[in-house]
Amino acid sequence: MINKIKITKSERIIFVFIILLGTFTLGSLLIIKNKCLFIKNHKPNNIEFNNRENIAILNAECGNVIIELYPNISPNAVARFKTLIRSGAYDDAAFYRVIENKLIQAGDLEFGKRENLNYGKVGTGKSGLGTIQSELDTEFNYLRGSVGLARTYQMNTEDSQFFIILQDEPLFEGEYTPVGKIIYGIDVLQKIKFVSKFHIVPRPDYINSFKMLD
Amino acid sequence: MTLFRTILFFFIFITPLKANTIYDLIKIPNLEIYETNTTNKLRYLYAVKPFRLGINVKKNIHCLNPDKKTLDSKFRIIDKNLKRYSSKFLKKINLKYIVLCENLSIAKINTAGIPDSMMRTLILDINFNELYFERAIHHEVFHIIKDSYQELFNEIEWRNFNIKKFEYSDCSTCNNRWNLDSYSETEGFFTEYSKSTISEDMAEVFSHIMFYQNKIYSGDPIIEKKIYFIKKKITMIDATFKF
Repeated sequence: MINKIKITKSERIIFVFIILLGTFTLGSLLIIKNKCLFIKNHKPNNIEFNNRENIAILNAECGNVIIELYPNISPNAVARFKTLIRSGAYDDAAFYRVIENKLIQAGDLEFGKRENLNYGKVGTGKSGLGTIQSELDTEFNYLRGSVGLARTYQMNTEDSQFFIILQDEPLFEGEYTPVGKIIYGIDVLQKIKFVSKFHIVPRPDYINSFKMLD
Repeated sequence: MTLFRTILFFFIFITPLKANTIYDLIKIPNLEIYETNTTNKLRYLYAVKPFRLGINVKKNIHCLNPDKKTLDSKFRIIDKNLKRYSSKFLKKINLKYIVLCENLSIAKINTAGIPDSMMRTLILDINFNELYFERAIHHEVFHIIKDSYQELFNEIEWRNFNIKKFEYSDCSTCNNRWNLDSYSETEGFFTEYSKSTISEDMAEVFSHIMFYQNKIYSGDPIIEKKIYFIKKKITMIDATFKF
């Protein structure tokens, strides 16, 4: 004859506790792994813009970054930027230089694309359209979220590479040609992969797409 | 081969990350912003720690961090003098950053300033010669001007202003007894230091023009020619320049 073993009250409590702990651990792991969980994805269709022709939408892993371009400040640089955006040249470009809470750089179309990322040369690539003149005459405050064209140590060497600053940079004024400023979605950029002691990010994040609104 | 690649990768990417905007811009370490809100858009930076610079391993340019009190008092003097240069003129001569530090030396020889027109930077020793500090500021600015417009400041033309038997020294640091006192009898040179090199002579003339303005000594025909030369060339760079 088999005697039925009765589960005691304390055993029941322990069982429930283990189940709860397991669920919590699994849930936490999923939350921690999803770096985009608390990032709001701004959808341009839900926002009203006054100057749609100067709105660009960069899509990265955690959502959209909506940038207003300033052709009145840097007409040639913005024209170049728009040309490259419209041609889809920035799609799959790596965020190859990322300094935590400071700066993000992308747009090397020669050595910094997903299919041909070259760690030895990234940052030196060209677009094939030639360089343009620096446009520094109009005052521009480089506040957090400002977008500018990168250049070599010499002026008038801007091409396709651009940077976005994640903190105010007063010394950038008069140094780098500004092209615009983020109006929504800077949080998306805070989640771009960086490695604290590396100049160039190994296995970086990429731009999914970069498009003009109109 | 794999090991070689790994080592190469290590050196390329695991270099210390100097996430420092100032260092990225002018390649001088240990600086912080002192003042950027200026009418002529000059950016004043100061050393928070001593720094060494140089193109080779020796790094023979050395400067110390100043104390706050001295820095504040000297800044007022520097700013008063440098704001006489318009932003338009400063842009033309490639001067944007003024680095303030103490006991500046190059190859262990003290100097008032080190100009670098490529980096658009002038390093100034805020403790250099109290007596001639203001003049020294303009003197160093002239070196930036000359570096940016070498073709304008013809040294052969300048040499011909002097009496025939006069010879400049081989270099400005060949003699440590060069004096900055202004001569009462100029005889073609404002100071003993003017006699060191053509470049220093030009810089001394310019600094005297800027410092003494309308009260500048006249009556020496050689000095008159030198003043005229400098004023003419500066006006060629910027017709609106005010001496």
